Amino acid sequence: MSNKLSSSVPTDREVVLGILNNSEDALNRLYIGYFPMVLKFILNNNGDEDDAKDVYQEAIIILYNKIKSGDFELSSKLKTYIYSVCRRIWLKKLSQQSKKTTNNLSDFEDVIAVEVDVEVHEEKDLQFEKMGSALLNLGEPCKTIIQDFYINNLSMQDICEKFGYTNTDNAKTQKYKCLQRLKKLFFQS
Amino acid sequence: MKNNIELEAIIDDYLQGRLSEEEVIALEQLRLNDPSVDHKIVTHKAFLDSLNQYGNVLSLKQQMEKAHQQIDVAALSEELRPHPSIVIKLWRRNKSAFAIAAAFLLLTISSIYSIQHSSSQNGTYEVMRREITNIKNNQNRLVRTMNSSTSKTEKGPVKNAKFGGTGFALTANGYLCTNFHVIRDADSVYVQNNKGESFKAKVVYRDLQYDIAILKITDEAFEPLSNLPYKLKKNSIGMGENVYTLGYPKDDVVLGDGYISSKTGHAGDTTQYQVAIPINPGNSGGPLLDNYGNVIGVITAKENQVDGATFAIKSRYIQEALNAIPQDSLGKKVVFSKKNPLQGLSRTKQIDKIQNYVYMIKVYN
Repeated sequence: MSNKLSSSVPTDREVVLGILNNSEDALNRLYIGYFPMVLKFILNNNGDEDDAKDVYQEAIIILYNKIKSGDFELSSKLKTYIYSVCRRIWLKKLSQQSKKTTNNLSDFEDVIAVEVDVEVHEEKDLQFEKMGSALLNLGEPCKTIIQDFYINNLSMQDICEKFGYTNTDNAKTQKYKCLQRLKKLFFQS
Repeated sequence: MKNNIELEAIIDDYLQGRLSEEEVIALEQLRLNDPSVDHKIVTHKAFLDSLNQYGNVLSLKQQMEKAHQQIDVAALSEELRPHPSIVIKLWRRNKSAFAIAAAFLLLTISSIYSIQHSSSQNGTYEVMRREITNIKNNQNRLVRTMNSSTSKTEKGPVKNAKFGGTGFALTANGYLCTNFHVIRDADSVYVQNNKGESFKAKVVYRDLQYDIAILKITDEAFEPLSNLPYKLKKNSIGMGENVYTLGYPKDDVVLGDGYISSKTGHAGDTTQYQVAIPINPGNSGGPLLDNYGNVIGVITAKENQVDGATFAIKSRYIQEALNAIPQDSLGKKVVFSKKNPLQGLSRTKQIDKIQNYVYMIKVYN
């Protein structure tokens, strides 16, 4: 099984180009390709499958953002980068859990320094959590309107029809009100 | 307040690039003049970025979730789960270290091997001898049981007794040459000629170093031989020379034919030749003769892993062994007869004469 998976691991270049071009297939193959490595690492270091999934997804997000931001240079193998990020995240989680640093991790791959990337991500993750809870507190229909307009990039016309507003101006006004409230919630928290 | 909302709306549109050119210019003018507007724009931009990022991450998470579903996590984790065995854990943890250590070990072993065994014809030397010994032991055991089942008064060896090796006459009065390892551990030794007559013999000389033993036929029934047809060759012989041997790997004398393939024997041993000749257990102690009927050596062992590598002790050392025996007891000295009566005879004729002087050595213990 692992052989089959590793054979489908895309090349590093494929991944970078794929992510820059929003290729879903590249992301899929990246995800499936390196998950076993991380799963093995977590399982062998006092974690379970869910831990592995969480840590791995965070690492992929970090990689994704790094590639998207444009300042990603292939100074190391993607595999090494992903492994190092996962290792760093898991180390942090372990030390948070047990209040003591675990120094004797079982390593399976080379490790590079990724502390900065992980810290940057932690800040972004905080923002993500804030936005998530702000949207949750916003309630319907505001949440869906905002998501449709700003995230799913629907036009005002679409939103108008979807929510049954009589005209787009009404919808616009509604959207602005929602936006104001969301901003308030977001910056307050 | 309404103004405020409108301004926000304009800023929102501005940041999303939905404004017309004049509106953009108007807003940028306003932004320059009014710091509070600038602040609003910056704040809103940060907010929109967050929202954007949120959307991106959300969709990324959904994609990953989809990908995750394609993975058989349970099976995978079963495979990758830390093994209960400490050994395997250790192995996984230090795989590369082990690999390096193993590689190093292999390298060391192979280099030591290549240093010690530059000829690569060693190890099995001993094996061959052991095989011979085993066969000998088995045979001895067989003989012993037969002995006990027959009357003790019977003289000489049992009819069906088997052999331990081969020997050949050095003198007409019953001195024989064979390998030391053939008669090692022997309590009593019998020799049998090609006519099937058995004679009791005793070991008069043992040379562990060259693996040579000299026997003397002590049996009263033994009648002195006529003059030996062959002589010992004093000088060493050249590579490629055709040679042959007579021996008793079975009940009847067997001819083996070959050539000298090296002037040194096992592990470069200069006391031996390497001979490409087929031999079997039982050939040990047999004479190695050249085409002129000169004894040039004594078959002693063969290499198992290498094809056609048989070793024979050079005849010079037979002479040395003979020198250790009181000269007068040797009787008529034939060993270095000047003239070789076999010279010029065909191989068949030579063998016809020689085989009378080649004996099967039977060992009892």
